Amino acid sequence: MSLDARVGVRLGTLALDVPLEARLGETVVLLGPNGAGKTTVLRVIAGLLALDEGRVAVDGHMLDDPTSGVWIPSERRPIGYVFQDYALFPHLSALENVAFGLRARGVRRREAARRSHGWLERVGMAAYAADRPPALSGGQSQRVALARALVLEPRVLLLDEPLSALDASARVDTRRELRHHLEAHAGARVVVTHDPIDAMTLGDRVVVLEAGRVVQAGSLAELRERPRSRYVADLVGVNLYRGTADGQRIRLPDRGELVAAGHARGDVFAVVHPRSVALHRREPEGTPRNVLAGTVEHLDVEGDRVRVVVAGTVPVTAEVTPAAVAELELTAGAAVWASIKATEITAYPV
Amino acid sequence: MRRRTRSRPPIAVAILAALAVVFFVVPVVGLLQRAPWSELGDDLTDPVVRDALRLSLVCSLGATALAFVLGLPLAWILARTQLPGRRIVRALVLLPMVLPPVVGGVALLLAFGRRGLVGQYLDDWLGVRLPFTTWGAILAEAFVAMPFFIIVVEAGLRSLDRRYEDAAATLGARGFTTFRRVVLPLIAPSLVAGAALTWARALGEFGATILFAGNLQGETQTMPLAIFVELQTNLGGAIALSLVLLAVSVVVLVSLRDRWFPA
Repeated sequence: MSLDARVGVRLGTLALDVPLEARLGETVVLLGPNGAGKTTVLRVIAGLLALDEGRVAVDGHMLDDPTSGVWIPSERRPIGYVFQDYALFPHLSALENVAFGLRARGVRRREAARRSHGWLERVGMAAYAADRPPALSGGQSQRVALARALVLEPRVLLLDEPLSALDASARVDTRRELRHHLEAHAGARVVVTHDPIDAMTLGDRVVVLEAGRVVQAGSLAELRERPRSRYVADLVGVNLYRGTADGQRIRLPDRGELVAAGHARGDVFAVVHPRSVALHRREPEGTPRNVLAGTVEHLDVEGDRVRVVVAGTVPVTAEVTPAAVAELELTAGAAVWASIKATEITAYPV
Repeated sequence: MRRRTRSRPPIAVAILAALAVVFFVVPVVGLLQRAPWSELGDDLTDPVVRDALRLSLVCSLGATALAFVLGLPLAWILARTQLPGRRIVRALVLLPMVLPPVVGGVALLLAFGRRGLVGQYLDDWLGVRLPFTTWGAILAEAFVAMPFFIIVVEAGLRSLDRRYEDAAATLGARGFTTFRRVVLPLIAPSLVAGAALTWARALGEFGATILFAGNLQGETQTMPLAIFVELQTNLGGAIALSLVLLAVSVVVLVSLRDRWFPA
């Protein structure tokens, strides 16, 4: 295991307890809402903040262990850190920024400049070597910050919201390039983000953090199929219910009920993809086992689909085509019936 | 009927405000109109005046250097550490800004004088005598002027984004390397402003200097002291020296205007 950490820190009202492992060549994405403690995890791994409990080890070398008193300071850890908003030194040129770490580690000026220039070329910034950071765009700054961290060949590379400072147009290209550079890096990577698309593009594995705790970990496909919290369900855009199963029936709080095809008992999650929810203006007849009455709360256009949020005893979000919205004359406040086939409901134990 | 806009002040307020402006401007005009412009060259080459100019330059630059060497570490500690008693230390450091300089002079004499708290040991053990020497004048000026350096630099350090220091640490830089290559260049504007204010204050120091260092021509008689003496015997020389100090003040004011008096 390249990175092996258990981060236990108390910061005001936030009590963090996050196990985190990353193999060589793996990118782990720390996903979570603001204030979940994602940046704090990175700061602890980098040695900018000391652990209260747990451990941080890289390649089997202990870096921080409160029980034995081991503490390796930041400047001696084999860890690279790309800060949110990049924190490039504004008084140094792009080249001097990249060379800073080599110079601090005693590499001679000429050699440091040569290697830094090589890295600026790799990230496509050679033409801007003499420019100071205030003159660079967000995407350019991000590439210089990446080169500054990678030139030291860190065993673990930490990236804090590497794309959030960019506008939408720069984001797509920079994201693809970043993925390419991450794959070329020989060590382990940890990326902090609150954006599921970043997580999907950059990560091999996702660790979801809420209020200082890991609520779910796995591949993004696993997260989509079996979300385990409201936050994750919203993130991947599915309907999530929690109830008590008794065979095929799942009793929800507030008198609602769903019928699933499988058999389950006890506390369960039930997930329904919005695409498998059909909407009707009259109460439907026929085979669907689940018919939910409600009123349209609002409609969100997402590309060529429209997400219709329906409020009722059992709230549900449906994804339909714009043509269906027009045909059914769906507007906010309209009374609708949503139907879901029992086979489209997946139930799994809490 | 004429309409009154809100930007037009009441007449009484306008008159009082205009009086305030006159009050500041008239003394400067008085100084300038009595200036013996044609004899300025002669006045400034008078031995007393020349000695005073030289000494003032030496002492004020010495005091500024002392503020740099001692004040910068203290500003860093005040801005960057959680040391207990920081607030008390800060209050003590700022005391000379509000203390009458004459009182500062008495205090310095009682501390560093030949029979003073510290001064007697400096004399007995090291043979160092501060009062009535150029070193004493430097010390007196530093005592009064250093707080300006410390508060300006501390504010500069406080407003510096900590992430630059974090970034330097993750790139392998130790504390001193980070300080030299990241912190110092980034707080350079504060260092310059602090040094300029300190220097200007040191240049004008009178009370503490005359009490602690005396008024010996060529030894401790700086410009303000010389002006005080010359005023009774050689008015031209006093005015010439005053003009020099006025010019310096204006230059410092103009060069710091963006920092202290944003439009």
